[in-house]
Amino acid sequence: MNGAKQIIKKELTRVFTDKKLVISLFILPAVLIIGIYYFMGQMQTAMVNEIEKHVSTIDIQNVPEDFKETLASLKFDAHIQYLEPDEDLTAVKKDILNGTTDLLVVFEEDFLNKVSTYETGGVIPEVKTYYNNSEDYSNAARNNFVDTVLSAYQQKLLKERFEDIDQLTVFRVDVDPESSVIVDDKKAKGKIFGILLPYLITLMLFQGAMSLGIDAITGEKERGTMASMLLTPLNRREIVVGKLISVSILAGLSAAVYAVSMVFAMPVMVSGFGSDSLEGLSLKFSAVQVAELLVILAVMVYLYVAIVALASVLAKTVKEASAFVSPILIIVLVAGMATMFSGNEEKSLGMFAIPVYGNAISIQNILTGELTPVQFTATVGGTLLLAVILTVLITKAFNSEKVMFNA
Amino acid sequence: MIEIKNLTKVYKLTKKQMAEQKTKRNIKKAADNISLSAKKGEIYGLLGPNGAGKTTVLRCVATLLNPTTGEITVCGCDTVKEPKKVRESISFLTNEIKLDPQFSPKYMFNFFGRLHGMDDKTIDERRELLFNYFGIQDFRDKKINELSTGMKQKASIAVSLVHDPEVVIFDEPTNGLDIVTARSVTDYLKLLKEEGKAVIVSTHIMSEAEKLCDRIGIIINGRKVMDGTLSEILKETGTEDLEDAFFELYKEYSKEEA
Repeated sequence: MNGAKQIIKKELTRVFTDKKLVISLFILPAVLIIGIYYFMGQMQTAMVNEIEKHVSTIDIQNVPEDFKETLASLKFDAHIQYLEPDEDLTAVKKDILNGTTDLLVVFEEDFLNKVSTYETGGVIPEVKTYYNNSEDYSNAARNNFVDTVLSAYQQKLLKERFEDIDQLTVFRVDVDPESSVIVDDKKAKGKIFGILLPYLITLMLFQGAMSLGIDAITGEKERGTMASMLLTPLNRREIVVGKLISVSILAGLSAAVYAVSMVFAMPVMVSGFGSDSLEGLSLKFSAVQVAELLVILAVMVYLYVAIVALASVLAKTVKEASAFVSPILIIVLVAGMATMFSGNEEKSLGMFAIPVYGNAISIQNILTGELTPVQFTATVGGTLLLAVILTVLITKAFNSEKVMFNA
Repeated sequence: MIEIKNLTKVYKLTKKQMAEQKTKRNIKKAADNISLSAKKGEIYGLLGPNGAGKTTVLRCVATLLNPTTGEITVCGCDTVKEPKKVRESISFLTNEIKLDPQFSPKYMFNFFGRLHGMDDKTIDERRELLFNYFGIQDFRDKKINELSTGMKQKASIAVSLVHDPEVVIFDEPTNGLDIVTARSVTDYLKLLKEEGKAVIVSTHIMSEAEKLCDRIGIIINGRKVMDGTLSEILKETGTEDLEDAFFELYKEYSKEEA
């Protein structure tokens, strides 16, 4: 296998001595991910802050006499305009649509009287709000007004009617909610990660395999450099192995760069939402779990590289190779995504042996600490089997003059 | 050294290729029952117009293509049954096969030396010898995509000869080269001949074939229509020079095809 070793060495040298390639494969993704996450975090924080800072403009019609007291005691900050009972509301509604007014509140005519003269079975008076739920300011103004002002006012009126409002509460549920939750902390955290991680891993590994594999095989065919290798006494199988291993190493490295930069970028993004949101995202693994994860990732890289390599060797041009690989990328992504939506039901062993899908559910189970050794073997075995079959096909293609020389 | 017996190579054409070549048959005979041999210490020239089948014949010899029928042996080894042994003993140069543009001539030379299983000391010796002869030392560390056409060709020739092969197959080796570089290439081919190698070159340049080749095979439309020494060919066709001889044969045989 000296030939394969030489080819791996050459492929790695080719990438690492080319500044542009190093930047586009390893540096740019890291910078981009951290940059995008930082930007997204900043934007989100800015947006939340801005909505909070905004002073709502609210119009109120038929305001009850004691309502202003409630408003004053709550120190509710808003530009409030009181409308006459007979005022036409069309103009105000138009303002809400335009965004110049955030909220219109209409109390029923003779509101207080209707509340105080209420008898069982009678009509319950209404407070009607008008707002634009596609506008952030209007939405926030409405929620704020209903949650703080109206509910406080309602409590006040209830107190007037019943004096002791506790009589209205027959029993309570969960006085201390935190003590009610019984959960395996590790598993819960794993679940948060498990939803997204298999999908991201699939995407990153396949992306790397795609750009590198197509260039290393179709690119070499197109440039005419592959034939010079076919003229050496090397076994074709050795050339295939050399190519697959070198692309796997590079794709793995590229994915690792992505993963590491995401780990660094995550706190940057989440910082905007307060510190608790980060707590759900820290995970601890045992050595066995790490080893299992690495083995699964390794066979996944091998499989993806083999898929890309087969498409690349059959394609005549780099353009054609991209056209071949793109639909495969979508299939692989859908299989990776399937884990996001699958329920909690037990998966049969056969499911774990399905390449791509099985890998995704295995990673999910590693994160929640549920992967059994049998399932692990099934997923590695299934993936490896397909990858080896593909490797045999690639070697066959390398031996075919029709494929290699278009003859 | 090289023995081609009744070589026929048939390509299957796709519908697109059929349309391009304006033919209704879905097969193309690129080589039609060709037999020839090239011996040690001899330069054999394949002469023919573009598309006559020269490259196909040479690719079959170099094990890149398998004959549809017929057989080829190189140094006693069959190209289909023992391709690895054949590849160990040949150098094959054609303008569609290129060196990786990202690397320097020196890196490529060492890389192919190692793929041929040579040790570093032998590689260094061969490199000094060939790089000095072709004047590659000045640009041996430059990337190949920064080199001129002539420099690239020199580098390709040197790399293809890294393992000191017994048989040298060059497909249009002087194509696109200026006369100075072209001369150094043909001079080196003569040197190889003196060293006792078997050399096959293909060309469509008559003067080159006249001066360089010990024997010449003329290929038209996939068929070898004549071969022999220059004087034999001139005598047979009753002409003064190779160009006239070639056109005599071309008139005769291309008509047949039509």
